[in-house]
Amino acid sequence: MATLLRSAVLNPEAYRTVRDAAADAPAKAPSFSSLAARLDSLQGKTIYLVDTGFGGSGKFLDQVQAWFAERMPSVKTVRRRKTGNIFRDDTKDLWAEIKENGQAAILGVAG
Amino acid sequence: MPNLRFTFVKSPVWGKTAEQLQHDVIQGVDPVTGKPVMQEIVDELTTPLSPEDSITRTIPQSAGPDRFGPDDAESLQRIFMEKRMTDYLPIVLPTEERVEAMLKGTSRKPDEVAGHMSPTPGVYENWSYTVRQIAVNAVMAGADPQYFPVILAIAAAGTEAISSSDNSFANAVVINGPIRDQIGLNYDIGALGPFSHANATIGRSYTLLSINGGNCGKVGETYMGVIGNPMNYANIIIAENEKLSPWQPFSVRHGHKPEESVVSVFQGWGLVSAKNSKYAVWSRDMNFAQELKNIANDQDQLFGIVAVLSPAVADYVKSEGYDSVEKLTDFLYQSQDESTPHFRSKAQINILVTGSSNNLYWDYGGMFLARSVSVDEWR
Repeated sequence: MATLLRSAVLNPEAYRTVRDAAADAPAKAPSFSSLAARLDSLQGKTIYLVDTGFGGSGKFLDQVQAWFAERMPSVKTVRRRKTGNIFRDDTKDLWAEIKENGQAAILGVAG
Repeated sequence: MPNLRFTFVKSPVWGKTAEQLQHDVIQGVDPVTGKPVMQEIVDELTTPLSPEDSITRTIPQSAGPDRFGPDDAESLQRIFMEKRMTDYLPIVLPTEERVEAMLKGTSRKPDEVAGHMSPTPGVYENWSYTVRQIAVNAVMAGADPQYFPVILAIAAAGTEAISSSDNSFANAVVINGPIRDQIGLNYDIGALGPFSHANATIGRSYTLLSINGGNCGKVGETYMGVIGNPMNYANIIIAENEKLSPWQPFSVRHGHKPEESVVSVFQGWGLVSAKNSKYAVWSRDMNFAQELKNIANDQDQLFGIVAVLSPAVADYVKSEGYDSVEKLTDFLYQSQDESTPHFRSKAQINILVTGSSNNLYWDYGGMFLARSVSVDEWR
């Protein structure tokens, strides 16, 4: 049996993080925090319902709000619409507002 | 954030009445876990974190080994396919010799970071790629070194060829300027089809780079297209027929000089033949501009419209009084009556010319201009 030709080939994959084109060193690896501590209960709490702007989000959150009003009336729900592009961060101070005034947030929807 | 708490709901949520949303979605179950949606949401806000949830972490930077093998060709083909680094067609194995040959197609340094890409910007982390990594993918696609500046320019645009969206989007690359003839791009019969080595392999390079350089197309992780899109194989490569077009090239209308070579990347739902539309009726008294307008006004507004006219159709439109694309765009943008125009702006209407003059066909689709990049900077 003839010997099959063997060769080494290069890996086509890229760096899994953005590197600074102007610098020689790789950019700092992205890091993230742990999840926030959970609540003991939602009773009496303020929950922000954040509309991401994706199709159907608004009406979906209307129904989430209606569910809380009927099933957990002690929960105060606050509706907000995230600013900016659907897939990007809020461009104003929504997260600061939620941190100041709320105990939890539900973001919806993703598609 | 790997342990982010989320709930799937019965999709889609758009287009449903309040009663349907309340009954089918809110009071329904998570289709993945089977748990009641609202109970699951309440649980996610109140169930204590596990030790795993509580640690901070960094995203690993390693892309794995810098090479595979040595091994025989069949085994290497299987490695690439099993690692989801291909389009499931055989590749040209990227040996060091072939990659070095590809790198001779540019004066840029191999280790220069040429761009970055994500399966959907802002949703997934960016991956960045060097000139060498782009060369590896170009070799895999079967491209020639002389095509490399075009491939680099497309890579520099950083627009993913395979979006993660469940929409099953497609991409087009419009190529203008002298590079078209220099590397043998086809803009005659079969301009959008698999009839030129340059068109085919440039398009395939873009797909492979998006998979390996942008982390795109990993089904279930970074790709959720409901039906998928066959245009993702090699994208829609549109070298304009600047010789036969009665108008200025697309790149010139957007501020570039005729002697500049430019790629312009479009994203959207792809292109279909205008003959799909009930408005594309051939008659003794053709009015192509009105046919274009009828089809455009029937088009979804989100991405606007790209119309790819054969030179014969473009000549017809010009003879109807539209001696510039600007005049045609004005006509297409104006509403048919006194109402608000169909599209948000004239920038949503893009006219291209390619193909042959042997008949009166043209294509259209909902696509928008993402970015234009100079090819000459990557020579």
